[in-house]
Amino acid sequence: MAETLRRVLSAGIAAWPGEENTAEAGPPLLLLGAPGSGKTALLFAAALEAAGEGRGPVLFLTRRPLQSLPCGTGATLDPMRLQKIRFQYSPSTRELFRFLCSAHETPGPAPSLLLLDGLEEYLAEDPGLEESAYLAALLLDTAAYFSHRLGPGRDCGLMVALQTQEEADSGDALHLALLQRYFPAQCWLQPDASGPGEHRHRVCLEPGGLGPRTEWWVTFRPGGEMTITPWHTQAGEPTLVCDTLSIPKECKVLSL
Amino acid sequence: MAVALPAVVEELLSEMAAAVQESARIPDEHLLSLKFVFGSSAIQALDLVDRQSITLISSPSGRRVYQVLGSSGKTYICLASCHYCSCPAFAFSVLRKGESLLCKHLLAVYLSQVMRTCQQLCVSDKQLTDIFLMEKRQET
Repeated sequence: MAETLRRVLSAGIAAWPGEENTAEAGPPLLLLGAPGSGKTALLFAAALEAAGEGRGPVLFLTRRPLQSLPCGTGATLDPMRLQKIRFQYSPSTRELFRFLCSAHETPGPAPSLLLLDGLEEYLAEDPGLEESAYLAALLLDTAAYFSHRLGPGRDCGLMVALQTQEEADSGDALHLALLQRYFPAQCWLQPDASGPGEHRHRVCLEPGGLGPRTEWWVTFRPGGEMTITPWHTQAGEPTLVCDTLSIPKECKVLSL
Repeated sequence: MAVALPAVVEELLSEMAAAVQESARIPDEHLLSLKFVFGSSAIQALDLVDRQSITLISSPSGRRVYQVLGSSGKTYICLASCHYCSCPAFAFSVLRKGESLLCKHLLAVYLSQVMRTCQQLCVSDKQLTDIFLMEKRQET
C-alpha cells in the first residue's frame, strides 16, 4: 500500500525512480503518529490520489464525518475524485465488526483502496489482544475479498491510521507489535521543530519487505494547507541518524 | 500475504503438494521435516486432517473462511487470507508469546490444502456473515 502514499508524498517531484502506476497494492500499511500529526490529512490525500487513478472507488471507514476536508498537497478537491470516495461511518467497534464481517453482502463495485481512520479508538473500546488480532485480520480479509472481486491482477489496498502515545506502556507495545505483524508496511509521523503557526512533521515511509525507507517533511500552515518536501533536498540540515529519530524506542525493541 | 510463513515452511508445503500430486502420498522425509519444524503440532494437525476436521466454507459472494473442528469438539475459524485462528493457542503462543509460527488448526488448514482433503460447504452470504460474527461473540 506504500505506493499510493509514496505518490502522494512525491507529488510535484518530476522524476521518482522506479515509480509506476502499478495495479499491485503492496502490503497493508499502518500510518502512525501522535495526535494532530496529520494522519487524517494524509489518509484523505491518499484517498484522493487513489480516486484519481481510475481503478475504482475508495472506501473510507471512520467513526464520524471529517470536521473539514483537509487541504491537499496542491491536489485539488476535484469533484470527480470526491465522488469516488465513499465514507462509511461506524461509530462503535461493534458496528465496525458488523461492517467487516458482512462486507461481502455490500452491493456495488469493489473498492480499490480501503482506508480506516482512528484504529486506536476502536481498539480502546475492546482492548483485548484477541479482539485486536481479529479486527486486524478481518481488515486484511475484507481487503483480500475486495481484491478477489476486482478480478485477476487487481488488488484492493489497505491503509489504517493509528494514534500512538508518547508514554506507551507494555500493553500498548504488545498491541503495536501485534498490528505490525499484520501491517508489514509502516509510515511514521514524528513531530519536528515548528515555526510560527506552522506544524512540521517528519514522515518516514517503510514499504515493508526489502523496499527502501524514504523520508519527507510535512508542514501544516495556519490555514490547514499541507506542503510536502522531500527530506533529502533540505539544504543545511544536519545528517540525522534515521533509526534513532524515526522510530520511538519502545517500538524499535519490538520490531518483528 | 502479510504475516508470511518463513521461506523454509513455504518450500516444504509446496514440495509436499508436488509429491501428493505425483504419487498421492506424502513421503516420510517430508513428514519428518514437518515434525522437526512444528514439533507435536505436526502430529496433531495431521490427525485433524485424517479426521477430515477442516471445512472450507464459501458463499455465492466468493468470500471464504475455514472452519476447523478441534479435538475438544469446539470449532474455530481460520481466515483464508492471512494468519488468524480463533483458538486460544494462537492468541497465546503465536501472538502474545511469539513462541510458535502457527497453531495446529492453521497448520491443518495448510496441510489439507496440500493433501486436497478439505471438506467443502456452501452457505448463503448472510450465513457467512453470521459465521464471522459468531467468532466475535464467542470472544466477548
